[in-house]
Amino acid sequence: MGGACPAPAPGARVYCGLSGGVDSALAAALLVEAGYDVTAVYMRNWSRDLPGFRCPWAQELADAERVAVTLGIDLEVWDCEAEYKATVVDYLVDAYARGRTPNPDVMCNQTIKFGTFLERALSEGADFVATGHYGRVARGEDGRVSLLRALDEHKDQTYFLWRVGADALARALLPVGEVRDKAEVRRMCAERGLGVENKPDSDGICFVGPVGIRTFLLDALERRAGDVVEWETGRVLGRHDGAFLFTVGQRRGLDLGGGPARYVVGTDVEKNVVYVTADHDSPALFCREVELDDVRWVSGEPPAPGRYLVRTRHTGELREAELAGGVLRFDEPVRRVAPGQSAVLYDGLRCLGGGIVC
Amino acid sequence: MTQVPAERVPARGAYLDYAAATPLDPEVLEAMGPYLTGRFYNPSAPYELARGVRDDVERARATVARLIGARPDNLVFTAGATEANNLAFAAVEGHVVVDAIEHESVLACAGTHARRTVRVGRDGLVDPSAVARAIRPDTELVSIELANGEIGCVQPVREISRAVAEERARRLEAGERTPIYLHTDASQAAGCLSVNVSSLGVDLLTLSAAKIYGPKQVGALWAADDVRLRPLVYGGGQEGGVRSGTENVAGVVGLARAMELACERRAREARRLAALRERLRAGLLERLPWTVVSGPRNARRRLPGLLHVAFAGIEARRLVIALEREGVSVGTGSACAASRMRVSHVLEAIGMPRPLAEGSLRLTLGLPTTEDEVDRAVLAIERAVRSEMARLGLDDAVQAARAAELVAGWR
Repeated sequence: MGGACPAPAPGARVYCGLSGGVDSALAAALLVEAGYDVTAVYMRNWSRDLPGFRCPWAQELADAERVAVTLGIDLEVWDCEAEYKATVVDYLVDAYARGRTPNPDVMCNQTIKFGTFLERALSEGADFVATGHYGRVARGEDGRVSLLRALDEHKDQTYFLWRVGADALARALLPVGEVRDKAEVRRMCAERGLGVENKPDSDGICFVGPVGIRTFLLDALERRAGDVVEWETGRVLGRHDGAFLFTVGQRRGLDLGGGPARYVVGTDVEKNVVYVTADHDSPALFCREVELDDVRWVSGEPPAPGRYLVRTRHTGELREAELAGGVLRFDEPVRRVAPGQSAVLYDGLRCLGGGIVC
Repeated sequence: MTQVPAERVPARGAYLDYAAATPLDPEVLEAMGPYLTGRFYNPSAPYELARGVRDDVERARATVARLIGARPDNLVFTAGATEANNLAFAAVEGHVVVDAIEHESVLACAGTHARRTVRVGRDGLVDPSAVARAIRPDTELVSIELANGEIGCVQPVREISRAVAEERARRLEAGERTPIYLHTDASQAAGCLSVNVSSLGVDLLTLSAAKIYGPKQVGALWAADDVRLRPLVYGGGQEGGVRSGTENVAGVVGLARAMELACERRAREARRLAALRERLRAGLLERLPWTVVSGPRNARRRLPGLLHVAFAGIEARRLVIALEREGVSVGTGSACAASRMRVSHVLEAIGMPRPLAEGSLRLTLGLPTTEDEVDRAVLAIERAVRSEMARLGLDDAVQAARAAELVAGWR
């Protein structure tokens, strides 16, 4: 990352990503109040430009501008479309085409917010970057930096930050991670007259928006008719319009003309087959081990083999598991995790990093 | 029906965006009321109650036609000016000529034809001889708006009609059969300028109710006898088959009433607005002498109620937010352009340097505007600009030098 990293202190130059949402608005406000020299940046990411896909970014930018004017800080608009398209959108489509279920937010944090944005901010003279993420950066006496879960465990977003390395985190300020809960965040925004406190939480994949992943994928990938097969018997139960549209554990979106609820146990995108079961407790829906691919560790060093807390979905349960040789072994069978999802390891509050589930 | 009082302008703040939207005049609302309630009948139905409503639609058509000096049978009601413009362009297939600062609906329609876009001057005015040069033997439509809604210039449509007439005469002599028509979008003009189709010399004319204290999504296209309009909306064959769909009876009655009121008030209102605009201009220049005022210098070539000002290097988008907090509503560029990340095509076309274009406010006055409101707006704008100057560490001397330099390099 180049250059010695200063300790965060009043007067330091901070480029704060401002999305138009509640969390980043409060982050910017808290930094201004703490005496930082704050410049807000609205990152314009990739969005669909087709009739019917209403892209809300103009509205989001307008909200970000209102926050910046209220706080009396500069707002720059950075065009991150090309990088976003290449590293997040294409990654998402490509992973789905290969039958995986990726986490685009993980890639966005790694390559855009703590990649492109961080690098450009530093090159323009920033000492730090800030975002509205729910997470905490702990700076040790020895200069070591670690990532901790947010004070608000229900909102914690470290599950999406596991690929951000310590050198990037050393330059990061995440003020919202220190706030008690989301209600408090909204209250603090309202107190400051930021005008965004009543905006809904934006869960889900930002660029897919309200149309949903299915519509989005069907626009990017070719529909292809195939069989829905009962896993236990091999019997064909119906047809689907593309195995890439289905994910392990999925229940909705199977059009099998009545009968019991059925769950996807797996897909074969090459043969274009979706396997399902009517048995909610089918062994095919559980696993004891998860193999990790594309591992990344916050400190740069893999953790020693041993027992850690593991999370396999955002704000999902933290379970204990044994890490050994790139494989996580749970004490008891757990619901199967779709290939492409992240498995994130924690030592207490500390997020260590993780891997992509194979 | 009880008369609903017009929403009065609040004692605090100011609304200076009448080019974007006008409030419904109480008299227009009163005229429309019965058709939203008791007289709800479908004009196409056969019984007497419905025939009465049909007559009212035709009366509204006759009224609007009379007020633009035309015969009623050539007037088509549409859902707003954008549709009327689309309908005008759908009447031809061949080459079209437009100018660079037309409304987006005209530019987008022109984009579906072979076309030539005529440049405008620094003041936004179209040179009629440039239009004459742009006309080719296969040009079928020339479309030049009567008045521009962003910088307020009033185009020499009458002179342009002479160029079109000359080309028509030439084709007649040469035995060429391709027709050529002149269209003008008079949406922004109808409140303050005469919109007589004969004195303008046009073949097609667009009107909008929404800009003259009538309802939104109501407009009209007038076309001369020899123009064959082609429908864009198919169905039951209403509006002579050109625009199907059950008539928006309340809407067209509202348009007719709004046009009547506009014509009655036009001369007096134009003078009143021009005086208010002068007050606004003088007030701003007194407090912020380096304000850049755009548009034609000749008063006859400007919309009386529109003032376009630019504050060099100050972000207008931030001014709008600061003003909004004082209850002052102003436009920046056209509303459409503001939602995208680019400078308005109008300011680009007049060659305005970016630091001025991005610091531009469009201030438009209307019927309810008062001197007090203008004075409040002047003070609020000054406060907003000065607060941005303080944030950026700028003073009047710096700004004056900057504005002078930008203007010198531009005009």
